[in-house]
Amino acid sequence: MQRLSLLLLLLSGCRAAHLWAQDRTLPLKSGSVRFAVIGDMGTGEAPQYQVAQRMLEFHQKFPFNFAIMLGDNIYGGKTPADLKKKFEIPYKPLMDAGVQFYASLGNHDDTNERFNKFFNMNGQSYYSFKKGNVHFFALDSDYLDPKQLDWLEKELANAGTDWKICFFHHPLYSSGAFHGSSTELRTILEPLFLKYGVQVVFSGHDHVYERVKPQKGIYYFTEGASGELRYGNLKKTEITAAGYDKDRSFLAIEISGDDLSFQAVSRTGVTVDSGSFHRPGAAPPSP
Amino acid sequence: MEMRGLALSYASLVIVLSAVAAAQAPLRNKQPPGFDDFTQRVQQYMKLRKALPNERTTRRQDQIVDRRLSIADAIREARPAAKPGDIFTPECAPEFLRVIRSTLRGSRAASVRKTIRQGEPVMGVHLTVNGAYPEHLPRTTVPPTLLLRLPRLPDKLAYRIVDRDFVLQDTEARLVVDFIPGALP
Repeated sequence: MQRLSLLLLLLSGCRAAHLWAQDRTLPLKSGSVRFAVIGDMGTGEAPQYQVAQRMLEFHQKFPFNFAIMLGDNIYGGKTPADLKKKFEIPYKPLMDAGVQFYASLGNHDDTNERFNKFFNMNGQSYYSFKKGNVHFFALDSDYLDPKQLDWLEKELANAGTDWKICFFHHPLYSSGAFHGSSTELRTILEPLFLKYGVQVVFSGHDHVYERVKPQKGIYYFTEGASGELRYGNLKKTEITAAGYDKDRSFLAIEISGDDLSFQAVSRTGVTVDSGSFHRPGAAPPSP
Repeated sequence: MEMRGLALSYASLVIVLSAVAAAQAPLRNKQPPGFDDFTQRVQQYMKLRKALPNERTTRRQDQIVDRRLSIADAIREARPAAKPGDIFTPECAPEFLRVIRSTLRGSRAASVRKTIRQGEPVMGVHLTVNGAYPEHLPRTTVPPTLLLRLPRLPDKLAYRIVDRDFVLQDTEARLVVDFIPGALP
């Protein structure tokens, strides 16, 4: 009996710690743009489901409207059963709560995923959409052909919003030991990002979480551990602002006016990184 | 003499301005030279392709898979005798080889090769024209600096690198349309 009481006490303590760990640091301002970021998740295995569960719990404290997917949405087979196991079932509670998913394609994805309405790609392997004062650009970094680059340049030039955010699979800056920075893609994309004032870039591919110090004024995040994980694979370098490679994770973002806040949460609900920054190029915040 | 000097200055100015414009022009040429035969073959393929149904957006993965398989079957029926070299013809294949090999041996070779490696390249796959690109395999990353030097393709087609082979893939049907074996050095 005494042992049982002790066990219950320990379990309740764990639960309390868990709730504390998943406390929201995001400001939850009225009218803000709120979204989650997941990458390299489509394994269909338990850790993916556990991250999805943490996202659902977090959604109750921080009601985000949509999630962006950084590729490798469906690993391995792409049968109807695979799609159910690797996407529909784990994220169904979030979709039932009204969360929309916007996918980009990774090297393990089939380009025909763009036809799946769950992914909101409207049949395109690269596309853009707007939410409030934020313009999102989903790119297909496996196949950056001249047609896509022309499209991106035109879209960026015509985007009238304050924030311009690009998301795609391969990171331009990464301290992941397995893949690292995609320097060739950087040669092609970075000049466009700088020319047209992209402020934030989200990528996956390296199965870790990393926030990179601003590079030429652009903020880069890698979130490639929402299902897969390469434990201990983050070799922190001079570009690393923060990182986490001990467990799976997801990222929650809030944009209110010229301020962006972020919170990275692990599979066990621990906040592994958080903070905020002012939009580069915007007037400084009033004191 | 003065007029001649003026004309020469003007000509020099035009040359300088053209050089500046060329330097500033995007790398993204509409169509690089030397691929006319290939472009013609691709257009013929697309004529055939236009007669077939397209994929459509749906929440039902079974419909996407069924449509993909039926498009692939229809293409096989329409090109029953298709073989390597039908589109990458002997006339244009050397130009593809020249571009691929110079990209992989040029000043940015290390970065280009890293791009291919980062895409988790597919090795040891036996390709056949009209054969399906295996479902569970990664689709491999094609270096963008290579894509910039190759002819543009219509929406339903893409270049792929599988092992050392250079592949033309029908992306909706996931079908190998043609390939150049051993194209990568």
